[in-house]
Order: sequence, then C-alpha cells, then structure tokens
Amino acid sequence: MSVAQWFKGISLRRPPAPAASPSEAPAPERVYLPLRQHRGDVCEPQVQPGDQVALGQIIGSSESIEAALVHATVSGKVEQIIDISDAEGHPTPTVVIQNDGKDAWAAPDADALIIDNADQVLQTKPSHLLKAIRKAGLVRAAAHGLPMQAELSPPMAPRSYLFMTGIPVVRTIDTLIVKAVDADQPIIPNQAGLAGFGAELEIGIAAVARICGAQKVIIAAAKGADLGQLPQIAAAREWSISQVNGCHYPFGLDSMIINALTGREVPTPYGEPRDVGVLIEPLATILDVGRVLRTGRPVIDRLFTVAGDVAKPQTFRARLGTPMAEMIKAAGGASGQPGKVIIGGPMMGMAHFDLNTPVTKESDGLFVISLAKVQTFSGEPCIHCGRCVQVCPVNLIPAELGKMCQYGHYEEAADKDLMHCIECGCCAYVCPAKRPMVHLLRLGKTEVLARRAE
Amino acid sequence: MSKQLLTVSTSPHMLGGMSVRSMHVEYIIALIPALATGVYYFGWPALLTVLLATGSAVVCELALTKLAKQPTKLDDLHAVVMGLLLGLILPPVVAGLEDACPWWIPVVGGALAVGLGKVLFGGIGAYPMNPVLIAWAALALSWPEHTMAFLDPMPWGTEDPEWVVSTAPLVEFKNDIGNMLSYEMANLWSGMYPSAVGAGGSWALLLGGVYLIIRRIVPWQIPLGVLAGLIGMALLATYTDSRIVEMELETFNDHWNVALFHMATGGLMITAFFLAPEPVSSPMTPWGMLLFGVGIGVMTVLVRHWGAPIDGAFYGVLIMNAATPLFDRIRPRVLGKVGSSA
Ligand code: SF4
Ligand code: SF4
Repeated sequence: MSVAQWFKGISLRRPPAPAASPSEAPAPERVYLPLRQHRGDVCEPQVQPGDQVALGQIIGSSESIEAALVHATVSGKVEQIIDISDAEGHPTPTVVIQNDGKDAWAAPDADALIIDNADQVLQTKPSHLLKAIRKAGLVRAAAHGLPMQAELSPPMAPRSYLFMTGIPVVRTIDTLIVKAVDADQPIIPNQAGLAGFGAELEIGIAAVARICGAQKVIIAAAKGADLGQLPQIAAAREWSISQVNGCHYPFGLDSMIINALTGREVPTPYGEPRDVGVLIEPLATILDVGRVLRTGRPVIDRLFTVAGDVAKPQTFRARLGTPMAEMIKAAGGASGQPGKVIIGGPMMGMAHFDLNTPVTKESDGLFVISLAKVQTFSGEPCIHCGRCVQVCPVNLIPAELGKMCQYGHYEEAADKDLMHCIECGCCAYVCPAKRPMVHLLRLGKTEVLARRAE
Repeated sequence: MSKQLLTVSTSPHMLGGMSVRSMHVEYIIALIPALATGVYYFGWPALLTVLLATGSAVVCELALTKLAKQPTKLDDLHAVVMGLLLGLILPPVVAGLEDACPWWIPVVGGALAVGLGKVLFGGIGAYPMNPVLIAWAALALSWPEHTMAFLDPMPWGTEDPEWVVSTAPLVEFKNDIGNMLSYEMANLWSGMYPSAVGAGGSWALLLGGVYLIIRRIVPWQIPLGVLAGLIGMALLATYTDSRIVEMELETFNDHWNVALFHMATGGLMITAFFLAPEPVSSPMTPWGMLLFGVGIGVMTVLVRHWGAPIDGAFYGVLIMNAATPLFDRIRPRVLGKVGSSA
C-alpha cells in the first residue's frame, strides 16, 4: 500500500470472504436475452416468436463493430420479443426463450478456432483470433463494457479532445493489465475466477496480448490471494504478477490500478486506458476469451456473484438471460424482505426495480440489501468536516462541489473539476451528514453536459 | 412481472455509518480524560462549571432554534459538545468565594456560544468561526477578571478543600519571563497548576486527541500543524526575545524546555486537538489544514511573548478561522487532469 493510498479511499467495514471457485447455477426455465448487453449498438433479431433454437445459435446480429452478437443460451422455443429493462435500466428489445432442458448445441461457426495451448495462439494470425472472438459475441465483462472486438481493435479516428490539450496522444497499446481483483467488494467474479482457473487462462491472456499488441503483461492480483499455478505459468511466458491493494476501495478501479502499476494517469473525464497505452481487462473476460478459443463455442454463461443479504452468497457460472429472481433463488433466497436489489456492487452498482432483469454480459453481480438495512441519505447541511476531501481518490473537494451542484452553480462546479469525479462514492460513504454526494455530483455533471450540448 | 416494490437510488448503497451524532459521541469520549483530570484537581467546582455550561448550551439551543424557526436537532449532540468544551476552558466556579468565577459566567457563555456563535449564522455547518471560542472571547473581553480567576489545584481526596484563587503560569510569565523556571515540568504536563477546568491536563488532552485522530474524526494535519508551529516559533523566540536571551540559556535542552512550557500551559493542548480542528470552521484541504495549524501555533507564541492578551491560542484560532476560505483554496492536484481538458 503506497503512502497516498493509506490516507485515501475507505476500508469497508466487512472484510471480504475468501473467494471460492465458482459453481454452476441451474439453467432457468426461461431466459431473457436483451439484444444489447453492453455499451454500443443494438442487434437485429434473427429469430421469430415460435422458432426452435439450439444452444449457441445466433439470435441477434449487427454489422456495427460496437455490437456483440447475441446467442441463445438455452435450447428451446422463442416465445416472444419484448422490451424489458436491461442491466443499465434502459428498455431493450429482448428475446424470450423457453428452455426445453436438452441443451442441444448448434453446429459450430465456420470462423471458430479450436486451440489447445498458448503456443498455438502465437502461431495464429491476430485477425483470425479477433474474428473468432467477434463471432462468439464477447463483451468486456464489466459495467459499460464494450464488445471485445471494439475494445481490442484500434478506434476508427482519434478523439479530438486530446489534441486540443496539446499532450501527445498514445494510441498503441504497450501494456496489458489482467485484473484479477474486484473493486466493488463483495462482488468478486474476478477473484472467484482466479480461484478456479484452468488452461483457458493462459490461452486467453496470450490471445488478448497478441491481438492488442501489448509487449508487457501484468497480472494484478489481490494481496494474499491464492494464485495456484499462476506464478509458474507467468514466469514461463515472462508475464509479471503484481499484488495490488484491490480490497481497499476504490483502488481496484481500473484507473487506480493503472496509476498504481504504471504510474500513468488516465486523462479524465473523457479519456480511456487506451490513451495512455494500456489495455486493462477483467479476469472474467480473459477466461471467456480462453474458453471461446479452446472450445470453438460462443459464451453462454458468465461469472456472476450474488452477495449481500442472501442465504448463501457465492459466485456462479450463470447462464446469460437468467432473471435476477432466479439468481437470488440459486443463492438460497434472500434473507428477509429484499429492499434493494443492486446490479453490481454496493458502492458503484445500480439499484433495480424489476427482478425480471436478466444477467447480461456486462453485469458482474447482484447485491441484495434487505428492507431493514436499506440506508437513506438526508438533507442535512454539510458540516464542512473535510472527511470527503480526505478520502477522494482523485483529490477533489467533494463538499464544495456538492454544495455548488445543490444550489445550481453547475458551471462553477465544472471549473472546480467536477467532471473529473469518477463517481466512486467514497465521499458519500464517509459523510457524517449523510449527504447524497454522488447524486448531487451526477446531477451537476448531467446539467453541465446538457448546457454544453446546447 | 413481479409485484415487489424495491428501493431505487443512486450509488453508493452502503454508507459508513457515521453520523453527526456519532461524531460528537466520539468527541465526548475523547474529552472524558481531560474532564476527569479537571475534576481530580479542582473537585466539584470543575464538574459544576462543565454542567452549567452544557446545560445552558442545550437549553439555549432548544429555545433559540425554536425562536429562529430553525430545525431543533438536540440529538446530534452538537450543543452538548459545545457546552462541554466551553466548560473545559473556563475557570472552576466556586459559590461564595470572593474573586472566584461566578456561576453565571458558564451560563452566559453557553448562551453566547449557541446564540451568537451558531444560531445567528444559521446553525451547524454555517458558522464561520468556532462558536465556543466566540463565547469565550466575549466573556474574556467583558469580564477578564472572572475568566482568569483560576484556583490552586487540590487533588481529589484532600480533606475539606480550601479553594484559593491563584494566578496562572502564563500570567506569571507575562509579568516576568523568569517565573517560567519556577514550575515543575511534570506538574505542568499533568495539570497540577492553576488552570481552566480541562485545559491543564496535557497528557489527558493528548490521549483524547490521539484517539480522535486514530478514529479519523480529526485530521492529523491540524494538531500537527499547531504543535509544529508552536515549537518552531517558541524555539525562535528563545533566540530572539531579548528577555530570554538575557537569561543565557546554555544547552539546547533549556531552549526545548521553553517550548515544552508553552505546550503545556494555557489552552494550547485543548486548542490543538479539540478547538482548532472543529469541523465547521477549519479548512478541509490537506495543506490548508497544515498551514492553518501552523498559523495558530505561531500566533500563540507571538501573543504570549509580545502581545497584550495573556494567551494567544484561542485568539489565534479565531483569526485563522477567518482565513479558512483562503486556506481552502490550497488544493491538491486532481488525478487525471491533463492540460485544460475540462
Ligand atoms: S468526488 Fe467523486 S471521485 Fe471523489 S470521492 Fe466523491 S465520488 Fe469519488
Ligand atoms: S463529508 Fe459530508 S459533511 Fe463532511 S465536508 Fe464532506 S460533504 Fe460536508
């Protein structure tokens, strides 16, 4: 832990449980497959209600590079195509498939590769790897994830804002960071993935590094995590393993890990890791890439943690499209009446109103809070205690920004670097007046963007 | 579709569990050692002072917030903490003893702290200066003889304590700097000298202060700044104040003792750990807090050596409070801010 980190961020009250390897969640009776499960464009449905579909059959596709193909994750009959709210809360056209329980696989795709080991990856053309990944409909396994083909291939045009600032624009990736830590404890798909990985990890890392062209691979693992065979594998391939302080929130967030491991700062607010030559991928994504290349089949499930007030919090391999209600059931049911159901972790996740919302490629977990434990913000005034300033990982003065946003001085707040806030929520967590800090800051950001757009 | 009603709000969905009330509970816990020391040396009069000040602050908070149509929030314990702190920086009240501090001083003080210091500005979070010190300053300017009427310590258990009004070390220091040498350093640090109820027990205050810092209620920068500023300025004074130069201190240890004397006497310790870091009126940025503290420490020594008032710690806080908005402009660099990309 660097000295700066010792004073910044927050230590959560509950220490995270050690990650156990993921278990298989039962396939639901009915899957809900939104035709967009990521940041980007919506796919066109390729099936009609009444059609019989096989496991892994393409049911939604698009020409756009920013859209990932959607595959059936059970075999059975297409019931209907309706609009339901996806993990982001937007109504999205969704294919509902009734499970016939046979799990009959569709014929493999022509572009699919079957790769047994990482050496074979190095002999395969990156474009072939990329094509296989695209056909498998892979998405970066994190909230707001892009489809993998968009993530891995260079963008069409450099974005203009960086030119105006006069800093050199790095667009070639030299470092791949594999993130085996999870920022938002106790949602720990990556740590659980690390606890039960197989040959696909090595293949996945080699493939992603080959496609993006990174010379340096860093595996960021949590302090004290059980790495199994990973050190030997990494040593043979000259990958390095770094222990990061991922459990001390928010130092498991992408920009924080990049800063800790490479010393580079991802330019906020519009920058991406790519701007500083880094590609950072959650371990869950890497495992998926490895599995796709190894089996030649598309991804039908994902690592998904159910935690909070449920009987048996654990990480599952959950079929995409499983409704949240089924996932809560798989974890032994909620203890007490659920008051809040959050997709993502308790610090940065999104509260949902509909338990039919399915598991999608970009949702990494579910956090349930029982009605009795739901905490509320208050309208009390800020007491200027400065605790938020102490914890803010990007060195803002949240108290001041909060007041400005509350009273409508949005442009003034933007001058004081409002737009650089990463919405980590540390300020709201420590605030003794229980002010809804992130709410105010988001309000301010939205207003600033709306005014600038005019 | 399920019929279950779920709460929706922005993140974070988990809060740290700290409230204004729990913060003030920590303050009260941290003040217990100082209060105990005060009661040990000054007996019932000490307890009476604190009770009067606290009671007055609570009652006035209730009455004045009703009058000003502000929300009454007695359960956040802010009035209690204010009363407690005020009681601790006033001399012990002894009924019937001539020259001693009369009972109405803490009562008026509590009312002033709440009325003039807090409610007038709009309640917690809105006042620009430490209300406790505003009340103290008003009392000290109006009735200097009462706010300086300290008692000779009588450790708890003394048979039939005879309270005698006596002069504080800082007054002696003001009269003749040489008097400084007549005090035992151990007595000064434990609080065995004529002082305000809770301002004398330096060890006790240090203990409470360190507790607050460990619990992250008080940022470490402010106390550290105050102590650093005080020590630095005190050492400087030993080489420049002609009266001390005449004393011809020989070893560095002698100079250091002057700094220790400044640290242990007057209201310095309670200022460093409790009054200067008062949340509302102190700055928030790291460097701002440090400089704020240093300013108070330097100010204390300047006033004690060369100023008109007896002690400068409390005035130092008030003056630095006025500069808080300036200190808050010293910001840390924003991570990820490149060029002018806003
Ligand atoms: S201001 Fe933004 S970045 Fe800073 S602690 Fe609050 S939410 Fe996090
Ligand atoms: S933590 Fe809350 S009360 Fe304290 S300064 Fe920040 S916003 Fe104000």
